[in-house]
Amino acid sequence: MSDTAHNHLNAKLVLLGDMGTGKSSLVIRFVKGQFLEFQESTIGAAFFSQTVSVNSATVKFEIWDTAGQERYHSLAPMYYRGAAAAIIVYDITSSDSFAKAKKWVQELQKQGNPNMVMALAGNKCDLEDKRNVTAEEAHAYADENGLFFLETSAKTAVNVNDTFYEIAKKLPRAQPTQNPAGMLLVDRPADGSRAASCCG
Amino acid sequence: MLLSLSKLSKYHYFHFDNIYFDRKEIRISFPSPSSPRNQTRSSHLSLALNRKYSATMLEPDAHDLSDDADYAASIQQGPASMTRNDSLGRNSHNDPEGAEVVYTKDNVAIHPTQAASERISGRLKLIKHGNALSMTWLPYKGQSSNARSEKDKNLYTIRAVPFSDIRSIRRHTPTLGWQYIIVVMSSGLAFPPLYFYNGGVREFLATIKQHVVLVRSADDANVFLVNDFENPLQKTLSSLELPRALTPMCESPTSADPDKGELDKSSNIFQNGRRQKHHDPARDISMQVLEKFSLVTRFARETTSQLFGDSQYDSYPSNDRWKDGALSPASKRIISSDDSPQVRNEVPVAADPVEIDKLSLVWGKPRQAPLGQEEWATFLDAEGRVMDSNSLKKRIFYGGIEHDLRKEVWRFLLGYHTYESTFSEREYLITVKQSAYETIKKQWQSISPEQAKRFTKFRERKGLIDKDVVRTDRSLEFYDGDDNPNVFLMRDILLTYSFYNFDLGYCQGMSDLLSPILYVMRDESESFWCFVHLMERLGPNFNRDQSGMHSQLFALSKLVEVLDSPLHNYFKQNDCLNYFFCFRWLLIQFKRQVEFEYDKTMCIWEVLWTHHLSEHLQLYVCVAILKRYRKKIIGEQMDFDTLLKFINELSSNIDLDSTLREAEALCICAGENGAACIPPGTPPSLPIEDDSSAYPQLDDEIL
Repeated sequence: MSDTAHNHLNAKLVLLGDMGTGKSSLVIRFVKGQFLEFQESTIGAAFFSQTVSVNSATVKFEIWDTAGQERYHSLAPMYYRGAAAAIIVYDITSSDSFAKAKKWVQELQKQGNPNMVMALAGNKCDLEDKRNVTAEEAHAYADENGLFFLETSAKTAVNVNDTFYEIAKKLPRAQPTQNPAGMLLVDRPADGSRAASCCG
Repeated sequence: MLLSLSKLSKYHYFHFDNIYFDRKEIRISFPSPSSPRNQTRSSHLSLALNRKYSATMLEPDAHDLSDDADYAASIQQGPASMTRNDSLGRNSHNDPEGAEVVYTKDNVAIHPTQAASERISGRLKLIKHGNALSMTWLPYKGQSSNARSEKDKNLYTIRAVPFSDIRSIRRHTPTLGWQYIIVVMSSGLAFPPLYFYNGGVREFLATIKQHVVLVRSADDANVFLVNDFENPLQKTLSSLELPRALTPMCESPTSADPDKGELDKSSNIFQNGRRQKHHDPARDISMQVLEKFSLVTRFARETTSQLFGDSQYDSYPSNDRWKDGALSPASKRIISSDDSPQVRNEVPVAADPVEIDKLSLVWGKPRQAPLGQEEWATFLDAEGRVMDSNSLKKRIFYGGIEHDLRKEVWRFLLGYHTYESTFSEREYLITVKQSAYETIKKQWQSISPEQAKRFTKFRERKGLIDKDVVRTDRSLEFYDGDDNPNVFLMRDILLTYSFYNFDLGYCQGMSDLLSPILYVMRDESESFWCFVHLMERLGPNFNRDQSGMHSQLFALSKLVEVLDSPLHNYFKQNDCLNYFFCFRWLLIQFKRQVEFEYDKTMCIWEVLWTHHLSEHLQLYVCVAILKRYRKKIIGEQMDFDTLLKFINELSSNIDLDSTLREAEALCICAGENGAACIPPGTPPSLPIEDDSSAYPQLDDEIL
């Protein structure tokens, strides 16, 4: 959900993607500037928040970090419902994880907030020698589906903050201009008939 | 000590100042030399001897009763009530014309408080009038020492209650201590426990059975249902509005079902579980009991205020009474613990009913030192059998196990060894199980790279496990460093398990559950089998449909409703009723070090595994933690997101011992009503057996 007030925006953001792609590591790098080589798996979900400033406005991200295993997939709608933005994460060393990322994109296109800003993040780009997904391939897919795409590394911090800044920049434009009623709609997901009908 | 604990009633909301006393403090309530009853002291003593003797005859294991406060109370009342028997006999002519007394039992007592001196003895009767049977309990007259007791007597007197108004009678027959019954009315109200000082509950029930239909509940062998009310039950059930605590999860697209809305609300809760298949009357009864519980507590509360309204204790709870040592220091700390987190009270926080009604709470027993090697040896007979598994479990419940002993004792707690097994039987089992493990392990070890190429499911499963084992507890020395053999062991065990239980497979969270087991057992095969036993109980938590988690979260929401309705209401108003913020606590049993440290995790696990008091103590632990932070949660108006963040980040602030004590107290306090909140088959109960596969799973697919 997002709302604007005095150039301030609260934006709900959800991270989705296969397990072990580095969702939690990306958030923790962004929120705490830290990296753990063996970040423990996420059970259920975790919640973080971080504020960034773009141009003259500030955006406070309310970030939902989800469990990656498909077994917990049925819980995901709880988190992406009403989200203003999503980062779909895959691991550039695993083509399976890229395939899963595409499925997440499809699901969000079908079930999510239509104004959602979506980013595709090819994480672990420090592992160039183990690469299995080319940047070109991912780029092409992102362009086709209206996502913006960056290769990231939570370990080296490459493009991590940029991903969030990029989303922050896109948010204010995406929300009020394309769907002026959208703010209200997503502000209270319980009342948002669209979200409810999609996910219920 | 054991004895007095066994006498704690599960119905303490009827006891108005029964804060837990330890033995030393109870002794204070013994008749003092200056007591007016001093004159009958000698007869007390002789009775004490007789009583002790007979108890020993009946129960070979009976402890020394002379050391017990309840017992002291009974001998105090004994002579008094005996002298009154004659005079009471004269009362019989007061029975209604044409009525026949079919049963009379003397020395049946009500304990309004934990204080031995305030017990009220009386006579229980069954009276038949025409076809109708009714029950009375009249306190003996003239026994009381003060006005308050007189008042209690009036309050508790049971005047001719017809059996048509009685729903059920619950029988409690503790191994040590008095038998007692609880009579539950159709209205949901219940009478306080009636203690049979001279035994005879069986005879009482047998007499009833001669006159009315008395059926043992299928749900609980100690509950006797009066008159079969099968049809009225169905009616009540259909009109029952069950709170739909799980609505958000039920609305996920994967479980979307166009017909769902038309389903009976009661079965809706379990729509994803196989329990939906058959209607379970036992659960329906539970739900009814639950519904009525509010009435019972209200009754207790009103009675309480009535009592305290014109008593010397009207300034309670700030009364000096609590300073005089009647309350143990630990209880004082617990009572005030709600204030311990620094809280800015931004909004008024509704009072915590259980905290405020400290009256109705029996605080958990002080924690003990962990069970050590020497003491463990005393539990075993010469051939290595555990002689009294219940005492052992109780001992572990209150203190945990010394780390070096865990390897041995966990095998019993988890069910790998039976308590009846001998040393040699266990040695034999270990070798048999070792080779059984190797056989299963070979199933995946023999998969060649060529075969694996054509075996996607295997590759995927191995991939999941490989990803998780390298990030499970790597900060521990045991799992630390590159190419750590223990990490490989963990992988092998999980992969073998995923072949042993191919339908369930591997699921995130399992590595968390295995890690401490391997750390303790230090043996591949034994870790595997212990893990298998643990998963027999916790497996449903990992079902694709999350049925195990759903029933736990549902039960948790009901328990909070019972034990802290303002907090429940707060969650309700803030759309938090799915209790999803407790998901991780329950899935991996409080394991992640943010909740408790590793050693503490092992300790809480062994306590939970004893299943002493309740199979579902984990739910009461959740309630205890939530209650501890209720002021902060409500005061800061946390919404779901904030709450999840707060709970995920709760650090080692959570003190294990006091949390367990509080959980114990809540469990005792909730009693049967707490148990009724928990649907049958909720993990870690063993799953309800049916003919189909134990773990019916759909293929893992995203869309």
